Amino acid sequence: MNKPSTRQAFLIYALLGAALLVFLAPVYLIVSSSLKPTPIMFLRPPAFVFEPTLAHYQDLFALRPFGKFIMNSLIVSLGSTAFSVFFGSIAAYAISRIRHKRMNDIAFWILSMRMFPPITVVVPYYIIFKTIGLLDTPLALILVYSTANIPLTVWLMKGFFDEVPLALEEAAAVDGHGAVSIFRRVTLPLAAPGLAVSAVFCFIFSWNEFLFAFMLTGSEAQTATVAVMSFWSSDALQWGRIMAGSFVILIPGVVFVFACQRWLARGLTMGAVK
Amino acid sequence: MSATRIRNRKIFAIFLLPAMLVLFLTTLYPMLYAGYLSFRSYDLAKLFVPRVFVGWSNYQQVLGGGEFLHALKITFQLMAITLSVQLVVGVSLALLVTSRLPGMGLIRSLLLIPMMISPVIVGLVWLFLYFPELGYLNYALSLLGINPIPWITSPDWSLWAIAIADIWQWTPFIMMGTAAALTSLSPEPYEAARIDGNSAWQVFWHVSLPQLKPVLVSLLFLRAIDAFKIYEIIFVLTKGGPGDSTEVLSLYIYRQSFTFWQMGVGAAASFLSLAIIIVLITLFFKSLHRAPAHGG
Repeated sequence: MNKPSTRQAFLIYALLGAALLVFLAPVYLIVSSSLKPTPIMFLRPPAFVFEPTLAHYQDLFALRPFGKFIMNSLIVSLGSTAFSVFFGSIAAYAISRIRHKRMNDIAFWILSMRMFPPITVVVPYYIIFKTIGLLDTPLALILVYSTANIPLTVWLMKGFFDEVPLALEEAAAVDGHGAVSIFRRVTLPLAAPGLAVSAVFCFIFSWNEFLFAFMLTGSEAQTATVAVMSFWSSDALQWGRIMAGSFVILIPGVVFVFACQRWLARGLTMGAVK
Repeated sequence: MSATRIRNRKIFAIFLLPAMLVLFLTTLYPMLYAGYLSFRSYDLAKLFVPRVFVGWSNYQQVLGGGEFLHALKITFQLMAITLSVQLVVGVSLALLVTSRLPGMGLIRSLLLIPMMISPVIVGLVWLFLYFPELGYLNYALSLLGINPIPWITSPDWSLWAIAIADIWQWTPFIMMGTAAALTSLSPEPYEAARIDGNSAWQVFWHVSLPQLKPVLVSLLFLRAIDAFKIYEIIFVLTKGGPGDSTEVLSLYIYRQSFTFWQMGVGAAASFLSLAIIIVLITLFFKSLHRAPAHGG
């Protein structure tokens, strides 16, 4: 495409400026409200200049064991990420290398597993976990999140493994390496960016998840998203705390946007776009 | 060589099995269990004790009541509104952020932020914006001379309120996918079209759009599948109300299962919606096959 003229450039920046205003205003609202003293939180016009306070953040940790809930979120997210990336990537390698006409069907079956609405399996999960005594434990959420994270990893890693030249693997085979050794020494290092991207996606999904955490945990394994929601009430006093908690929760996602911009499209569209 | 092949096959099978087993136990089994539940009735006093077989009566209740069909209608209405706005705005933004000007990378990143926010947080911040008296959205509209809108308290506006929050969060998704596809299009047809003296709009309509179509179709199917998952935003903003004006399928299933404790009815509704989603997923996979280069 040609370089736009000055007039076109002005128009493009103006339109994008308007878009940034719309898409970032709610984010600004979260950050600013979390730092505003309650009496000025709903001022009209809004107070853009004010003396920031950390009181809401202090409340978060003083009124609830918010530190523990963040730890729960971390345990569940890291646990599910490790589990899913390990089993997902070896499965992806098998799918990428086995030459069989059914392999595509298996890949699609695995991917379809993450597309079903969570609400349809919440009741069975609740009953199953209640029966085997896993309700309100991090392990239950780790397993449940893996149902979304394994398919994502398989799908992403299959793409990365497909791109590793087979000639390299064959050369290693000639040198007498077995399949496992080739996978570990040759293929995996070349697909390392894929592992990082899969891990980050698994982490963010688990970290942000609400419905399962809400239905399957109580006071013990509660995660940060559920804790923030639990502050909700008609009391205006709570909004500073809700916004403070929201800001804490949105940090990893925002960091990720800037750290992995290159890979976002591929990960979020399940490879429809590379 | 053939001995290695056979040994490799075994190793590949061992690689593949754990993931399949986990998915079977954690997805397929609960779904089959939902199928089992959909033919049972629940005794409220003994909630977790095996219950009586009731044949098709749960399904009759779901399909006969009209509420399920209403929820289905709301789900598709919401899908139609959000997908069409996301498509038009998302593609427009993609065309803007792929222009050859400085700062586009940063702007693109900033615009992606909404997508990475937990849906429950999206619900909470839009609730904050929609407050009838205190919310800043009505304040912003009042500056433009528009009267306060009862966003989440009137059934005439509630579905729009949900749609706006969803559009806000997911338009960046279409923008991102389209922008990625746009940058990977081959430049030659553009040069030719430019030389022929076509306007920018004609070039977009006749050259870019046909090339983008397969990717756009895949992106829209992904959004359509996600539209059946929408839960948190509605749970926070309206809980399906006022009345049943925003009661989409997931909210209907939630209400049957956890408000009325009719888990059998909820399971029957779940099973019926799974059938619809399987159709959408199949269409999505077909669309991926049709996109020869997968956009890139």
